[in-house]
Amino acid sequence: MRKIIAVWITKILIVLGKLGGKKGSSTPGVFALKICPQILEILSKQVRSGIIVVCGTNGKTTTNNLLFSMLRDQGKRVVCNNVGSNMLEGVVTAFVSAAGIFGRLDADYACIEVDEISTVKVFAHLVPDYMVITNLFRDQLDRYGEIDITIDYLSRAVTMAGDVTLVLNGDDPLVAAFGIKSGKKCVFYGVGEDVGIALHETKEGRFCSFCGSELTYQFYHYSQLGDYDCAKCGFARPPADFEAKNIDLTGGIAFDAAGRRISVNYRGFYNIYNILAPISVLSLLGLPFDNIDKTLAEYKPQIGRMEPFRIAGKSVIFNLSKNPAGFNQAISTIAGDTAEKDIIVVINDNAQDGRDISWIWDVDFERLSDVKAHSFTASGIRHNDVMVRFKYAGLENTSDNGNVKEAIEHALKTGNKVLYVLVNYTALFSTQDILKHLEGKG
Amino acid sequence: MKLKIGHLYPELLNLYGDRGNILSLQKRMQWRGIEAEVAEYTLSDKIDFSALDIVFVGGGSDREQLLVCKRLGEIKSEISDYVGDNGVVVAICGGYQLLGHYYKIKDELIEGLSIIDAFTEGGNGRLIGNVVAQTDFLDRPVVGFENHGGRTHIGDHKPLGSVLFGSGNNGADGGEGILHKNVIGTYLHGPLFPKNPHLCDYVIQKALERRGFDTDLAPLDDKIELAANAYIVSRFAPSPNNCECSA
Repeated sequence: MRKIIAVWITKILIVLGKLGGKKGSSTPGVFALKICPQILEILSKQVRSGIIVVCGTNGKTTTNNLLFSMLRDQGKRVVCNNVGSNMLEGVVTAFVSAAGIFGRLDADYACIEVDEISTVKVFAHLVPDYMVITNLFRDQLDRYGEIDITIDYLSRAVTMAGDVTLVLNGDDPLVAAFGIKSGKKCVFYGVGEDVGIALHETKEGRFCSFCGSELTYQFYHYSQLGDYDCAKCGFARPPADFEAKNIDLTGGIAFDAAGRRISVNYRGFYNIYNILAPISVLSLLGLPFDNIDKTLAEYKPQIGRMEPFRIAGKSVIFNLSKNPAGFNQAISTIAGDTAEKDIIVVINDNAQDGRDISWIWDVDFERLSDVKAHSFTASGIRHNDVMVRFKYAGLENTSDNGNVKEAIEHALKTGNKVLYVLVNYTALFSTQDILKHLEGKG
Repeated sequence: MKLKIGHLYPELLNLYGDRGNILSLQKRMQWRGIEAEVAEYTLSDKIDFSALDIVFVGGGSDREQLLVCKRLGEIKSEISDYVGDNGVVVAICGGYQLLGHYYKIKDELIEGLSIIDAFTEGGNGRLIGNVVAQTDFLDRPVVGFENHGGRTHIGDHKPLGSVLFGSGNNGADGGEGILHKNVIGTYLHGPLFPKNPHLCDYVIQKALERRGFDTDLAPLDDKIELAANAYIVSRFAPSPNNCECSA
């Protein structure tokens, strides 16, 4: 009975939240757990064919959403927390909103994105059959301390997850070592050739997780991702069960994997991993690949992932860049665009961003000095710090304006044909609203 | 004029953007026509301390700190000779903890260099957040961000500054960091010098004095750096004493 009451109240709260214009709310889940603490356990046990959890610093939302779309397009019924809330309460909200009013869940699969630190809490209620880990980078350091702490949480979670199969990015030595140490069944995916995109940047996991020696790299992709091995203890990039090869990054992404050519028109090397991971899961689930081309073609990258806008005849490209690995990837993409451009960087330091913005010094801003940029504008709460970073990177034509809307309007008025707006997390929705509004006006 | 900066073990100790500090030292020397050479050392390198003017040791995770510690133990006497000879040292976070007698985490005792009469022990929870500290040798506060589990006790040593906002060395005695001879230890990680150009210049000045150059540093246009400093001061420690800093 409590279950049914919990489902009802939560559903009402979800509707109220939507009416109030909230995006990605976790509040309904908080109430559901209060009324019926077993609600997630009861609902998740009704999933018929498999629960997949996606974790990792970067790319988990895209990976999870792609997996959801691929399953849905095969006619499966799928629970997914694709509105962006990835802590326990958000997972509960997703299951409750998918359930019927009598607390019955009609679902073949659940694909759930979980924040790494929340995995221990979530796995107390829900046991995944597959767990994808995309990568482990520095992110929001002040919230979690250090990357070792994140790994510690994941280890505790995986121990709770019984027969789980780990689906891992083998190009990341931290992820690969994590999988091997866990003793669970591991399946690896990776990019098996040098595509020549490496930047000068800080690499988190360059030391062997087993013996502490420095890893040797045949090649890097970005951050610590690449083909590595440890001369001392023999730890090395595991052979990939699902490997991307013959990569072509001109104008989009194309590569061979799982016996076929995959080609999409969105940019960014990291999207290879975001596609490779769900394909690996699909294959492990024994499902066909019939319509993934259609799914991939129809997939719209989420809000703020190199999201294009057209404003007053100018092209605006909007990107979420919330940690060094993600930011450096954005810089790589900008460097590949030969058009004359302007660049705005928006950095906030609200709780969800991480209060510590020291990481902007790990971003290779120096590389922006030769990308044909006409101006650089620092904005957001910490625009002062961004200005300092610009100065020491040797960038010219810099200015600051803490007001994001004014910064964008000014750049559109005075700038070139292309404007890049790079923001961190809490500026994401508000900046998208500004851009949508301006696009509508144009 | 030329100064040589020795960056110790950046491949291991490079948390939270320490790179910004080296960049800041380098640029601020170059802008004044002082040649700046940066040598990055790995664990297997032999370091000639007599050729160095500024030694920089950053922060790392516990695992990486342990590796560095073993190596530093082997070159302990060379480092203390350098400090005894008024060599300039800037040690941040993990690097700062290693200067003391020991660093105790859980049941493990990591032996330090005993260059300063200090020790560090674990405490309940991490000390995380923005910091504003007032020194008695600079005209405006030093700002930064701290994130440490260890509590450092510096005994009779002089702290780098007194905490106006934040936790500092141990969250209890109101001190932040240490200033001993030309050794600066601090928990303010990441872009310490970019946001504190006055502290960066103090370090450069001390290194020059040690080489017999007594002239004052040429002033630079620090409008951008000081705006970032003043923002943190006014947001977290807006006391009347600091009013002039927001100018």
